[in-house]
Amino acid sequence: MDLKQTVTALSEVHGASGSERNAAEAALEMLRSFCPDAGIINGNVTGHFGEHREGLPSLVLDAHIDQIGFAVTYITDDGFIKVGNIGGIDRRLLPAQPVVIHGKRDIKGVICSVPPHLTGGSSKVPEIDEVSIDTGMTKEELELIISQGDSVTFDVSCRELLGSRITGGALDDRCGAAAILYALEMLKGKKTAYNVTVIFSAQEEVGERGAKIGAFDINPDIAIAVDVSFAYAIGEDESKCGYLGKGPMIGISPSLSREISDGLINAAKAGNIPYQTEVMSGLTSTNADRYSVNRCGAKACTLSIPLRNMHTPAEVIDLTDVELTARLLAGFITEGE
Amino acid sequence: MKELLKELCLTDGISGDESAVRELIINKIKDVCEYRVDSLGSIICFRKGRKTPAKKLMICAHMDEVGFMITSVRGDGTLSFGTVGGIDPSVIIGRQVRVGKERINGVVGSTAVHNLSKEQREKAPDTDSLYIDIGAADKAEAEKYVSPGDCAYFSSEFAELGTRIKSKALDDRAGCAMMIELLREEHEYDTYFVFNVQEEIGLRGSAVSAFAVAPDYAIVLEATTAADIDGAEGAKRVCELGKGPVISFMDRHTIYDKELYSLAFDIAKEEGLPCQTKTMIAGGNDAGAIHISGKGVRTIAVSLPCRYLHSPSSVIESADLESTYRLVRTLSKRIPEL
Repeated sequence: MDLKQTVTALSEVHGASGSERNAAEAALEMLRSFCPDAGIINGNVTGHFGEHREGLPSLVLDAHIDQIGFAVTYITDDGFIKVGNIGGIDRRLLPAQPVVIHGKRDIKGVICSVPPHLTGGSSKVPEIDEVSIDTGMTKEELELIISQGDSVTFDVSCRELLGSRITGGALDDRCGAAAILYALEMLKGKKTAYNVTVIFSAQEEVGERGAKIGAFDINPDIAIAVDVSFAYAIGEDESKCGYLGKGPMIGISPSLSREISDGLINAAKAGNIPYQTEVMSGLTSTNADRYSVNRCGAKACTLSIPLRNMHTPAEVIDLTDVELTARLLAGFITEGE
Repeated sequence: MKELLKELCLTDGISGDESAVRELIINKIKDVCEYRVDSLGSIICFRKGRKTPAKKLMICAHMDEVGFMITSVRGDGTLSFGTVGGIDPSVIIGRQVRVGKERINGVVGSTAVHNLSKEQREKAPDTDSLYIDIGAADKAEAEKYVSPGDCAYFSSEFAELGTRIKSKALDDRAGCAMMIELLREEHEYDTYFVFNVQEEIGLRGSAVSAFAVAPDYAIVLEATTAADIDGAEGAKRVCELGKGPVISFMDRHTIYDKELYSLAFDIAKEEGLPCQTKTMIAGGNDAGAIHISGKGVRTIAVSLPCRYLHSPSSVIESADLESTYRLVRTLSKRIPEL
């Protein structure tokens, strides 16, 4: 598997929360080569990996397949599209941002802005209800293609940066899905210490809803949420960040299973895999929060890929971290000698 | 003209670094006119007509676009930059850029929204606090590719939105495209065509080229601020897409020649072209330098209404490009007859 290609392909298909179909189908196609029974269950891409053996603990590898975006709420008489936000949008960067509206067909648009010539240089950050999208089409033309509730995402392609770093729009959390797929490739044909199920879950960005029902459905003993976390960059608090290129961030938190955190740390050490720790003092704001309190409870942990500029069209990751995340997962899951 | 415009917009050339655009333009016009490049880099073209008029007419547009200049490579491998021309930080953050001669990919990052205070979320960051991330692990790696003084450019797709066009640099490659087309036509009168440099940093190329040409009349072809967006009403709309060329009576640098202003509207009426003026006195263009050049130059600005000016996603209406072109073509015949 070409990791860069996989990450790029996954992050260039759209799938705002609740409208994940395109992204989910792309991920399903990839997952099927490892989990022949994989399918989409209530929005979650779910598949069982390898042979499940009696008596082994069950383990879910989770990455969310949705991304932030907008939903169409209204079309004005002048043909401007009004939207509401899906997930945590940084409104500061919306002016003049190119977007794609996913109607009966995709339509390109630009978020309206007022140039500095007319504002005296002090532009105000727009409220979401002040955001309008310009598509160059009239209301009548738009109504044939766009309906209320249609999703809107940033119009951005992946680009290679220096070294093994790349930038793109939905790396959160398609790089997590890619890491899981890469781990499955490493695990193919090997004996696993767990009965592994993969869930590429829907609706994480609006409150980990897909993971809630996925967790109930599979009812795992252990769950690892493979997501992204903050990589240090100018303007960030260094003490709360990992670093790009220094390996996956293993979560440690009162809400996570210390046994799994330690297990991951030991697997990293045993495999000579660089890692970082991510210490959180309460909830993790990831799908791990849902798995841990599912049914009678599960041992959950987070494994995070460091990422800069989260929730912007300029997210940056280091592919080395994705590869190391996959290696760590494979190491953790492989049955010991 | 759309293909020509696309080629012009996708060629990078921020103020002071117009050479790629200049080469492209020279290739397009070298067979139809005499031209020379002046000491700042503007292209001064002379197009022979059937007659030599008593009064000299100059038509001009600027080649440069807004962008960035790298000011230093930081210890962590990120790049500090300054803006070249006026750019709002809200259209800089979260964008892809291309840096230096090799056009290395980069992005302008910003603190994750999750980690901003409530107050910070409501205010665009200062441009000074922004940086370009090219993925370098450290300063040494970045310095292999980038040096202070290198330029950075918006990386933006040229796309058609319905009947509209979205691109970077429409200000003022749209003017350049119209001039190239005009140069290819037969002319009644001798006319000077000037592709100016350094408009965006203070109308500098035009000051020099206007002195050299010393015209009696000037037509400045521009793209100007349309704010006809949702929520903007009345005068706040400034000018509107689809309502034809914009003829200003006044902006922050120029009070325009009243006879030329009226002539433009008269021609529009005669030819059945839409034509509008701006409902706000703001901004400025090369007319500011030209109309007070030498003993004074009678000047008119004919602008294409353009939304989201100085952003990587400016938008114009194709029909406006056509009607603006037709108006300027007639103006170039009628002005020498005044």
